Amino acid sequence: MTVAAGIGYALLALGPSLSLFVSVISKKPFLILTVLSSTLLWLTSLIVLSALWRGFLPLKSTSWWPYGLLIFTSVAFQEGLRVFVWKGYMRLEDILNTFADKVSKPRLYLTDKMQIALAGGLGHGVAHAVFFCLSLLTPAFGPATFFVDRCSQIPFFLVSAIIALAFVTIHTFSMVIAFSGYAEGNKVDQFFVPVVHLVAGMVTLINFASGGCVIGIPLLYFIAILTLIHCGRMVWRRLIGNGRTQGNL
Amino acid sequence: MESSILESIGVDIIGVMSPVSICMLLVVFLVYSLSPSSPFSSSSTPLRTAANLVYLETPSDSAAQKLEGALLNALVFVILIALVTFLLVVLYYYNFTNFLKNYMRFSAFFVLATMGGSIFLSIIQQFSIPIDSITCFLLLFNFTVVGVLSVFSGGIPILFRQAYMVSLGIIVAAWFAKLPEWTTWVLLVALAVYDLVAVLAPGGPLKLLVELASNRDDELPALVYEARPTVLGNTENRGSSLGVLVGGVSDSGSVELQAVQRDNLNQTEGGNRSDSEYTAVEVLRFRDEDESGRDEGESSPLVGYSREKYSPSSEIVGIFNDCSCCI
Repeated sequence: MTVAAGIGYALLALGPSLSLFVSVISKKPFLILTVLSSTLLWLTSLIVLSALWRGFLPLKSTSWWPYGLLIFTSVAFQEGLRVFVWKGYMRLEDILNTFADKVSKPRLYLTDKMQIALAGGLGHGVAHAVFFCLSLLTPAFGPATFFVDRCSQIPFFLVSAIIALAFVTIHTFSMVIAFSGYAEGNKVDQFFVPVVHLVAGMVTLINFASGGCVIGIPLLYFIAILTLIHCGRMVWRRLIGNGRTQGNL
Repeated sequence: MESSILESIGVDIIGVMSPVSICMLLVVFLVYSLSPSSPFSSSSTPLRTAANLVYLETPSDSAAQKLEGALLNALVFVILIALVTFLLVVLYYYNFTNFLKNYMRFSAFFVLATMGGSIFLSIIQQFSIPIDSITCFLLLFNFTVVGVLSVFSGGIPILFRQAYMVSLGIIVAAWFAKLPEWTTWVLLVALAVYDLVAVLAPGGPLKLLVELASNRDDELPALVYEARPTVLGNTENRGSSLGVLVGGVSDSGSVELQAVQRDNLNQTEGGNRSDSEYTAVEVLRFRDEDESGRDEGESSPLVGYSREKYSPSSEIVGIFNDCSCCI
């Protein structure tokens, strides 16, 4: 596709994360570092998964269940990794709090913790968008564009950009939900995130059917909006509830 | 609500990481957009530079030949750089400061004008930008002169200086990308190793240079990237409330940071000593891996701060002096 269209697709997938980055993350250098390390971590998880699945790929199958298995194992691995990230974050929090005590500054506020979680999620989302959308765009510059048979109404790159946007949203905010769930011990939040991730992954299988992306993509966006609303309600509840105690947890 | 620590942690790392990342990103864009569309349309004769004095790589050689040739190239290049750095140390030792300063200015001018100009021309060619030669020359000249001024004299905003340091890195990196493949990779590794040795080993030229400079309390006329360290409000005084500060090193008299506090007046009789110690807090090192075409040494601004200990019974008034670091 042309350069202008390419930039358009890239901004479609990464525009909201760019504005999130500029408005929230870029103000605090530590959050920039968090975004970068979580991006790296997510990419590493992809490398490990591809190493594990190397022997079975490419899946020359017309039925959907090998792909379903692939998605299931990948999501399970990444959700397991999220627990490790949480444990690493606990240690990081201790280090930061000790440092804060040493320089006689207040300990981490609740908003700080949520911002770190947001930065972590954003790193995951950006890595997903770069890997699953931008990497398709860069070799494809030129005068023409490409349509897929099973989703022939819009160009293939546009479809991948739209799907990437949904996943960026899901990744970014599920990290906030997950960390809050682990911190509070809230089982609903803790199970919400892996379930949502798995369902979102499985919903993309609908795109295999001819004309399936007309159903699959709105469903995906429904899940993304659900994640957003749940995260918003959870943050509201915690902040208002903690408003009396100076916002410190 | 007091500001949390999240505001200030990691500033130094980001201050060094962001120019490096921007430089790398722009080099990738530049090389990607300037690379020939077909692999066979490259120039028929590869350029002979200091990096392939010994061996000119051609695609038809065997892997072993290429590796051997690349190693020889890298060896010759590193030896060349080491020789010139030692020459620089000798010149600095014998106080040829003016010559060094002028040579630095000349070399920055040269790099920006010729190497930058050549890249500029390639961009114009690649994207068929309609621009005439006089305008192009004027623009290039302005770019070069402002670059030399911002890097070597004061009064120019720090952002310009940082931007020009990054563009110097981009230009040199883009030029190094024109070298043949094997030579590039081996050269990269060889320069990294040389860097480590030159800076850390006891006889290394860069280490000697830094030691000479710090012994004379002087700053090197070198291409230094300043990430503008933040001020640490360090109040460890037991007595009086006059705090201490960090002197930011900037060159040629323009002080952009704070003054260094010195105890001048001693109002009580009898010796009330106040020691002021200079401790080097942080040595910011910015070394772009691709910046190897420069034969001048580089060092880093030594950020020193003085700590004054007051004895509790004294009343000492400190006078703020402007600290202008000489260059």
